[in-house]
Amino acid sequence: MVDNKASPVLQVKDLAVAYKIRGGEIEAVQDASFVIKRGEAYGIVGESGCGKSTVAWAVLNFLGANGYVKRGQIKFLGQELTQKSKSELRLLRGDQIAMVYQDPMQALNPSMRLGDQMKEVLTIHRGISDAEAEKRCAKMLERVYMPDPVNVMKRYPHQISGGQQQRVVIGMALLNNPALLIMDEPTTALDVTVEAAVLDLIAELRHEYDTAIMYITHNLGVVARVATRVGVMYAGEMVEQGTVEEIFKNPRHPYTQGLMRCVPKLGANKSESILYPIPGRVPPPGNRPAGCMFAPRCDYADNRCQEEHPALRALDNVNVRCHLAEEIDWRQWTPTEDVIAPPAVIAQAAADQPILEAKSLKTYYPVKGSSLKDVLGLGEKRFVKAVEDATFQIKRGKTLGVVGESGCGKSTLVKTIIGLEDSTGGDVKFLGFDITGNLSTRDEQVIKELQMVFQNPDSTMNPTYTVGQQIARPIRRFKTVPNDQVRAEVVNLLETMRLGANYFDRLPRQLSGGEKQRVGIARALASRPDLILCDEPVSALDVSVQAAVLNLLLEIQQKYDTTLVFIAHDLSVVRFFSDEIAVMYLGQIMEIGPAEAIYAPPYHPYTEALLSAVPVPDPTAKQKHIRLQGNVPSAINPPAGCRFHTRCPRRNLLPNGGKICQTEIPPWREPDDEHKIFCHLPTDTLTTFEPVISKEGNG
Amino acid sequence: MLVKDCMTRHPIIVPATMPVVKAQQIMADNKIRHLPVAGDGKRLLGLVTRQRLSLKTDTLGSLNLWDITRHLSNMTVKNVMLPSTKVQTITPERTIERAARIMADHKIGCLPVMENGGVVTGIITEIDLLNAFQEMLGLPVEGVRVTVRMPNRPGEFSKLMTALGDQNWGVMGIGTYPSPKADGFYDAVLKIRLVAAARVEDILNQIPDQEVIDIRNVA
Amino acid sequence: MEAMQSGLKLAAPPSRLRRMWKNISIIFDSRVGTIGMIMVLFWIVTALVSLFWTPYPPNATDFIQNTPPNIQNLLGTDQLGRDILSRLMQGTQVILLKTRLPWGKAILPGGVAIWGVLGSVTLGAVLGLNAGYRGGWTDQIIMQFLDALIAFPVIVLYLVVIAALGQGDLVVIVAITITGAPGVARLVRSLTLDIKTRDYIRAAETRAETIWYIMFKEILPNARGPLLVDSMLRVGYAIFAIGTLGFLGIGLPPPDPDWGNMVNEARRSIFANPLAVVWPSLAIASLVIGLNLFADGLREELSRYQK
Ligand SMILES: Nc1ncnc2c1ncn2[C@@H]1O[C@H](COP(=O)(O)OP(=O)(O)O)[C@@H](O)[C@H]1O
Ligand code: SF4
Ligand code: SF4
Ligand SMILES: [Mg+2]
Repeated sequence: MVDNKASPVLQVKDLAVAYKIRGGEIEAVQDASFVIKRGEAYGIVGESGCGKSTVAWAVLNFLGANGYVKRGQIKFLGQELTQKSKSELRLLRGDQIAMVYQDPMQALNPSMRLGDQMKEVLTIHRGISDAEAEKRCAKMLERVYMPDPVNVMKRYPHQISGGQQQRVVIGMALLNNPALLIMDEPTTALDVTVEAAVLDLIAELRHEYDTAIMYITHNLGVVARVATRVGVMYAGEMVEQGTVEEIFKNPRHPYTQGLMRCVPKLGANKSESILYPIPGRVPPPGNRPAGCMFAPRCDYADNRCQEEHPALRALDNVNVRCHLAEEIDWRQWTPTEDVIAPPAVIAQAAADQPILEAKSLKTYYPVKGSSLKDVLGLGEKRFVKAVEDATFQIKRGKTLGVVGESGCGKSTLVKTIIGLEDSTGGDVKFLGFDITGNLSTRDEQVIKELQMVFQNPDSTMNPTYTVGQQIARPIRRFKTVPNDQVRAEVVNLLETMRLGANYFDRLPRQLSGGEKQRVGIARALASRPDLILCDEPVSALDVSVQAAVLNLLLEIQQKYDTTLVFIAHDLSVVRFFSDEIAVMYLGQIMEIGPAEAIYAPPYHPYTEALLSAVPVPDPTAKQKHIRLQGNVPSAINPPAGCRFHTRCPRRNLLPNGGKICQTEIPPWREPDDEHKIFCHLPTDTLTTFEPVISKEGNG
Repeated sequence: MLVKDCMTRHPIIVPATMPVVKAQQIMADNKIRHLPVAGDGKRLLGLVTRQRLSLKTDTLGSLNLWDITRHLSNMTVKNVMLPSTKVQTITPERTIERAARIMADHKIGCLPVMENGGVVTGIITEIDLLNAFQEMLGLPVEGVRVTVRMPNRPGEFSKLMTALGDQNWGVMGIGTYPSPKADGFYDAVLKIRLVAAARVEDILNQIPDQEVIDIRNVA
Repeated sequence: MEAMQSGLKLAAPPSRLRRMWKNISIIFDSRVGTIGMIMVLFWIVTALVSLFWTPYPPNATDFIQNTPPNIQNLLGTDQLGRDILSRLMQGTQVILLKTRLPWGKAILPGGVAIWGVLGSVTLGAVLGLNAGYRGGWTDQIIMQFLDALIAFPVIVLYLVVIAALGQGDLVVIVAITITGAPGVARLVRSLTLDIKTRDYIRAAETRAETIWYIMFKEILPNARGPLLVDSMLRVGYAIFAIGTLGFLGIGLPPPDPDWGNMVNEARRSIFANPLAVVWPSLAIASLVIGLNLFADGLREELSRYQK
């Protein structure tokens, strides 16, 4: 059928974007071409620094004072954008193109009520009455799954959570029914559950409103779920593009192949699969190779690759920028010598004693009231029950993964163990020592055995001191080695982290994110701890770097027999990395057991919902569609009975619609020796749940 | 089928300040014949068509070549558009036959689709209607296209349906209309898939009072 | 790949000196900052020169009183027949270079303005760090106290301090310290509140470092940029304060010339010799403005470089 609905909304051709900098300019994007049609979601993937955001900004001409489109065309609905005046572009941006950034606060005015900001979009340009605008904004908020929209509209941005802010921004972007919606990592900072809702919404937009969507992300799972076609960017160039099925089934470009090998496969674990990071890093715009941009990191590179710049060319159903695309078969790939040799994980004989044992551990934060009674200390004391009755143990040399939505108490649990917070009740024994108190109550011997790796590479290191000084500090503090050997020990640690001795004198700002994270691990290792607590250690890293850091962690775990507690919101990473997993909701452990048991039925209803929200890097995988309604309730007044009862989609399997869940604390079901589920549903019922994710064909 | 199902969403729209020459080029580049003109908030201001853009000799007759050029380059869309008060429009929730009716009555080729009292959300053109027409009759699918004539009285159509239902045939498209040149009769056009023409003819001719008047295999 | 990596390695960290120069040279990117720096440098050089040479002894009353500028006295003479240029030059010393101690002829290197600011930065940093890092009651008490201090007009504070301690260089230093500390403390506290949320502070805490180590080794160094800019401005205020006190006649004790005092004395014969008032006023203004411009430039460039 001749269909002008398929005509392009956005056509980018041979785009090059340059930024003027001191003493010259850099071409952040050198050659990008793609087309987005009505009702299509075009995914752009690639590591950070590849120019993805620059492409997005170029479309809107938001390149800042020093950026400009150097070559090429950007056609929006048949009109060339690069020649448009500022005022014409402003009109387009308001009415027909909308953008959503990773950080919602970039789009929100902190000093204005959310409702007023949203209404402004409608009232200022469209002359819609205030009351009508109010109604429509509320309706839009409902569409982005915002609970209690009317109330939310009365609040200021800082009074709602990051996930909710992002939903407001998306809602605001949609108010004008734009023809093109540009989203730059819109869900990167969100929980999987919220992310899933946002991705559902995007799919709906495509179908219902024929909106063209440009979706930038570094998460392959998200691309697989959201996009119809994909463009892979590397060092300012589009290196491969095609339909999402084709790209995932048969990636042609070595870079795309490399990206795929960086992420854990569905349900993969460390003993039977290996992550292969891409060696090296993206060349900065000023320092790009003459031939193929990817040649320095490519396993297949030959002389021609060094000299001749490959052009993007059609091959079967895809476009690919590689001289050797025909010959390369990615299934035949074998790791080269210089790739970090991933450790062989030997299933160890069940280790002796648990190194850490927690029984009914509780951590409450007192809430400061503001009424007179509270100030005088007469008011009823209220608490945020951040961790409630956590019971678990970790054996030496094993990894306990902790998953759950943000705010569920993962970090508090870790902080309590390490002693940054006092526990409120329960019992924690580490190597036989009682560690219920905070750091000031602990023995130096215990302190040095517990160390921590942090999430944010940019704040994990003190900007003032060199790498060497920062790693040396714990060594000196705990006198792990005599003073004259400190330097040697630091160098040794750097080498363990595959950073050369020449990193010793570098300052943090001279390091990349992955390198900072490795130094952070080296610093944690410096006191030779028995237990390292990792709070989202790889969440802020690109997939390729993430794979390298995970491999290093595995390696040190092997080498030093270190025990790890590993928090991450990426469930496939946790699955890959952990031996045991605890699923937390609202401060409570809902399910705990061996990793493989958690990811297969019987599930706790919450685990089931989480798993069904995970974006799976495989467009052919079938996934159950379970979306939790509403928000995580307040931890000050958690729901009685089962804390999950306000959102549980499985409650109705119980007699009386699950009335018992509202009043009675659930029992621990034990489908297996080590596997425990905190739910009123009997094990027999839990076992009947179908697997959440199945491959097509056998599902 | 409703307008919202077959309109083109997010049509190309132009500002009133755009030079006519530019609008002409956009039309040519995108092979379109109608351009809604919209202001702030995509509110409809008018409509330009190819005809409206073509030169009117009477206004130009008195000018020399130099003046013509200047006249043209100064002219904006605003000067030539049909103002919104005179533009026929439709809303997404109406039926496509209503759209067809408006277009036929006014002898026009397109209707801007409006929402929220004046915001352009789409456009529906004769091409869209023709596409819808083809779809209704199941054009892209291969099969038997048969026309059955029946008397115009209650119960006849259901006889046909029962016959089809008994055979478990997949009907890909259907249309009925008063028989041309045969008062008191209705013709029904059906597109049936995965069956031989002879068999269709056989079965349908067995329906009392009904007659196959045309049958063919089409793609 | 090897080639590329070693290429990266070749770009070895520059030597310490080079790095320092690079840090300093950022100021030249800002025109305002460069102008400010030149003005400040001018006065520093003047002060240094005055240590060894002034056209005439600054306190010698060798000339005709109240002469306008001429070849002999480039800026003219004052009401006692002293050479104004020499006195202006000498006047930089107490501000920037030396502090006279009350014990005999003992002298402390570093001027009253410098010590005063150092004093307020030290006191302010200690208070600000404690308030910001410890929080809770400590924070409440410190901030209440500082608020109370700020509520007094600055001049009254000066008067109180001087009334209590008598006149002298050290007293002026104390006065500057006390009046400046609350501002510094607020700044340091707000910086601390931000810095203490960083993960490297958590890392230090999990090593059970002492609170003083965390405050002074982990937090304070990262506040140095804004603190430096702030100190620069404060030196300006201090000079102004010294001028004001000198003008009121309760500033730095004689015999060394003091710009504020010079204005005050010349004021009496303002109709006979208006320029005698103008010169020291200009001196104060140019140094203070220079410091302000310098600080502005520094702030601008630091914020650009520290992203
Ligand atoms: N305003 C700017 N000035 C100079 N360089 C910039 C600017 N913005 C981005 N860059 C550089 O352009 C390159 C591409 O960046 P970006 O588009 O953000 O990539 P991505 O979104 O893929 O991470 C990077 O090397 C980045 O440092
Ligand atoms: S052109 Fe050569 S270096 Fe570049 S990706 Fe292909 S094989 Fe690798
Ligand atoms: S106890 Fe009830 S509410 Fe809680 S998870 Fe089980 S079924 Fe759901
Ligand atoms: Mg980006």
